[in-house]
Amino acid sequence: MSEAAKRVLEVEHLRTEFHLRAGTVAAVDDVSLTIDEGECVGLVGESGCGKSTTGLSIMRLLPAVGHITAGKVMLGGRDLVGLSEPQMRAVRGNDVAMIFQDPMTSLNPTTQIGVQVAEPLRIHFGTSRKAAMDRALEMLDLVGIPNPRERMRDYPHQLSGGLRQRVMIAMALTAEPKLLIADEPTTALDVTIQAQILDLLDRLRSELSMAVLLITHDMGVIAGRADRVIVMYAGKIVEAASTPELFGTTRHPYAQALLESVPQLTTSSTDRIPSIPGHPPDLANLSGGCRFAPRCRYAEPACIAAEPPLETLPDGHLVACIHPVGLAQAAGAGAAEQPPAVEVVLEQPESLPQAPVVDAAARRSELADAPLLVEIENLVKEFPIRRGLGIGGGAASLKAISGVSLTIRRGETFGLAGESGCGKTTLGRIVAAHEYPTSGTVRIEGDELLKLSRAELRRHRSDLQLMFQDPYASLDPRMRVGAIIREPLMVQGVGNRRQQWERVAELLNEIGLNRRAVDLYPHEFSGGQRQRIGMARALALSPRLIVADEPVSALDVSIQSQILNLMKRLQSDHGLTYMVISHDLAVLRYLSDTIGVMYLGKLVELGPSASVYANAAHPYTHGLIQAIPIPDPKIERAKRSAPVRGELPSAVNPPSGCRFRTRCPLAQEICAELDPPMQVFGEGHVAACHFPLQSPTDDAPPRGITVAAPAAVS
Amino acid sequence: MIGYVVRRLGQAVVVMVIVSIVVFGILHLLPGGLVRAQLGPRATALAVHDLTVQEGLNKPLVVQYGIWAWHALQGNLGFSYKLNQSVGSLLGEYLPRDLLLVGVSMLFAIAIAIPLGIWQGYRRNRVDDHVLSAVMLIFYSMPSFLLGVLLIVVFNLWTGLLPSTATNFGGSVGNDVQVLALPVLALCLGNVSYFSRYMRSATVDNLLSDHVRTAVAKGAAPRRLLARHVLRNSLSSTMTLIGLTLPYVLSGSLIIEALFNFPGMGLLFWNAAQARDFPVLLGVVLVVTVATVVGNLLADLGYAALDPRVRLK
Repeated sequence: MSEAAKRVLEVEHLRTEFHLRAGTVAAVDDVSLTIDEGECVGLVGESGCGKSTTGLSIMRLLPAVGHITAGKVMLGGRDLVGLSEPQMRAVRGNDVAMIFQDPMTSLNPTTQIGVQVAEPLRIHFGTSRKAAMDRALEMLDLVGIPNPRERMRDYPHQLSGGLRQRVMIAMALTAEPKLLIADEPTTALDVTIQAQILDLLDRLRSELSMAVLLITHDMGVIAGRADRVIVMYAGKIVEAASTPELFGTTRHPYAQALLESVPQLTTSSTDRIPSIPGHPPDLANLSGGCRFAPRCRYAEPACIAAEPPLETLPDGHLVACIHPVGLAQAAGAGAAEQPPAVEVVLEQPESLPQAPVVDAAARRSELADAPLLVEIENLVKEFPIRRGLGIGGGAASLKAISGVSLTIRRGETFGLAGESGCGKTTLGRIVAAHEYPTSGTVRIEGDELLKLSRAELRRHRSDLQLMFQDPYASLDPRMRVGAIIREPLMVQGVGNRRQQWERVAELLNEIGLNRRAVDLYPHEFSGGQRQRIGMARALALSPRLIVADEPVSALDVSIQSQILNLMKRLQSDHGLTYMVISHDLAVLRYLSDTIGVMYLGKLVELGPSASVYANAAHPYTHGLIQAIPIPDPKIERAKRSAPVRGELPSAVNPPSGCRFRTRCPLAQEICAELDPPMQVFGEGHVAACHFPLQSPTDDAPPRGITVAAPAAVS
Repeated sequence: MIGYVVRRLGQAVVVMVIVSIVVFGILHLLPGGLVRAQLGPRATALAVHDLTVQEGLNKPLVVQYGIWAWHALQGNLGFSYKLNQSVGSLLGEYLPRDLLLVGVSMLFAIAIAIPLGIWQGYRRNRVDDHVLSAVMLIFYSMPSFLLGVLLIVVFNLWTGLLPSTATNFGGSVGNDVQVLALPVLALCLGNVSYFSRYMRSATVDNLLSDHVRTAVAKGAAPRRLLARHVLRNSLSSTMTLIGLTLPYVLSGSLIIEALFNFPGMGLLFWNAAQARDFPVLLGVVLVVTVATVVGNLLADLGYAALDPRVRLK
């Protein structure tokens, strides 16, 4: 950082308190940070660590119960904390702007986007309506909205999530603020779109030489974009360093554990991801000492005696820890690799089921001989859309799934990947018999799902269970956990009362929860625990197949790995078959034996996950994998630009030929004319592309897939 | 949009046919019947028989309904023997007065409730909000006739400011305003409390929403927030409520009309019910049905006009 760089923001010893019924909670506790012109500072941590509250405190946008009780927020020579509300209004949107996580709800649904983008100018500079609208048009163009002139009069609901986030950015930057606070700007978006938005933010930052505070939970995003990183835990800064330093030599045990628990593309399905036991402390009842100590593998009695101060280490890291990771060995040569874990009498975190140790080769050969559990053939699902008078007129339909064939063997984990809107959730619902296909067949253990009678289907349902994304919305808040887990047993009439309760206790044990949980309500549990309860409910009837739709995407990374390990453990204990649907390819890489990639209703690539990840044949699969942010600054910065361009086309009028051609870097004329056939790229690995990234082989295709002869297209 | 309105009106016709069948059936199942109602208990059997045949009342109920419906389609809703006037002309005489009473009271209710609700939402949980909420609760929990009586006591008996009956409605404009004041107030105050409560909670929800936070982050002042980012969004949900309330206001006016002797449809219906004047009863019921359907349709159209996400299909 050069001396010449102008300091834009200086936060000093900021403390923000929330006055809650449970008491006063310091959501942000003694946080100091600075950002220079053109610099991007990353603020990272798990939910509840105070990173968003820090952002909101700078903007003074705290909810009614929140107050800044100490510290300064210096911006342009003024302390924002001391400003009156009207003075602060002149700062917001003018000197500092903010973009929020959810572009779906953060725009006014009843106002045209042009008007919304123009609004800051109207507020701050009293610009004439016409001049402000002209500027809004320029801004929409600047953020890469196609045909901005026509889009000006659109309402937010007419735009995709990615475009809405671009509108948010345009709006935030209209008044050319000195500082932009981006609070999880890409968390709600697909990876492909995420890469585009982050590129856009980078470009605008250098063009407008803005200071950016990037708040995120995603270590990969931070690695690629931030100049400096600040890690927060339970309201406090635990470590701060330049990005290469922080990722290179992580000093704080929390930061280290957080990085380790991120599943990576290099994590294979036979590895185990470490998870951080327990959960963050309740800020209303802090026991003193280091806040991370109860979950820390290096904790010793000194850690709970006093809170460690934030100190600068010789290598420039700011760390709040008594024994920073890796420094022990630097001091005493030849010492143990890591400081010995000291047994501390702390509240023992609940025991978590660990992932089993699996031998890759053994599992492969075991699965190859396993019987087929699910056979899907030429599945089509279309949702009719009524238009105009609805009489005779348009017979338009949304083509959610257009001819998908695949098989899943018993005991296998099948991962289904793709952007939102590609039809993966619909496919999962059909397999779980919650939705009927328009045509095609689905066979479960040879029984055709569509031909079953109502009673047979009801019985079949106990074999097919769903696990949901949102652990908050998928458990009835008015039912006790015991009743939630017991319900499937009651519905299917399994056993008597006593046996059912015994089964509930057994299930709770399997998911690593205390028996006392039966009498508690869902809100008394953390997100990860709730997801485990959801898992227990899905398991209650000993199903053959569990369709897990985004099972961990609502959870923090350190909790994610708990669930992923639990899923693996249960699979090996009960011979479960999973169909895991996720937009997160790293999660799928860790869980799946086989992976299928969907694009706009079509399966574009299918194969053993090791083969698909290592040798992706379809440009879309390749792009998806490339788009995943890797928590390693070297890899992230080497990437040039967003690997997949543009947005998902409409599923009502999908492109002719290959559906991916409109976004494909390799597309040629033939792609528009001919729907590419499947070709083989290794054992059980197929992809549908005219210009594949690998050369076709003459291995056997997976069962149930028709392929073109390798020689036919070349 | 046009297709939507056409389809909704088509549904309205179906609803009206069903309602008329039900009402027709109930009226004809009542003991005593139409003939006795007209001729009185002392009429001879012969006279009863003659009128029964003349009116076609000896035919099966289905045929009778068919005849009535056929006439109704041609605009002939029957003839009131009691009032010696065709039902059509009766409705033509009473309905406009009702529309005036109901329309004016609804307009007042909306005009008061919406700013009030927004204000309360903006000032939520402060003293003025609590005071207003308490006052509104009193109006809300009071039946309209009690409110009417109270208004008469205060504005007529105690102060003598306004007339307590509306019998002489239809004179000069000045007179009509005076005469209408109390019935309109009695009809609208209850709705003010109802609508404003709803508007208040919609405003609170909107003020806490992400898009309002975005607007604050842009530097918008409270006035701008309320006018540009809260009003329209809160109105769209209140709109539905207002549309759904229309038939209740119409039927609620029955009691108010009786109380103030206002010569509207409520009074007409009341008298017809007591006199078993079946054609009039059927006519009024049909009008209320139309009002219900139209109220709903207007609410949906209003909603769509306010919220661009709603596309009418």
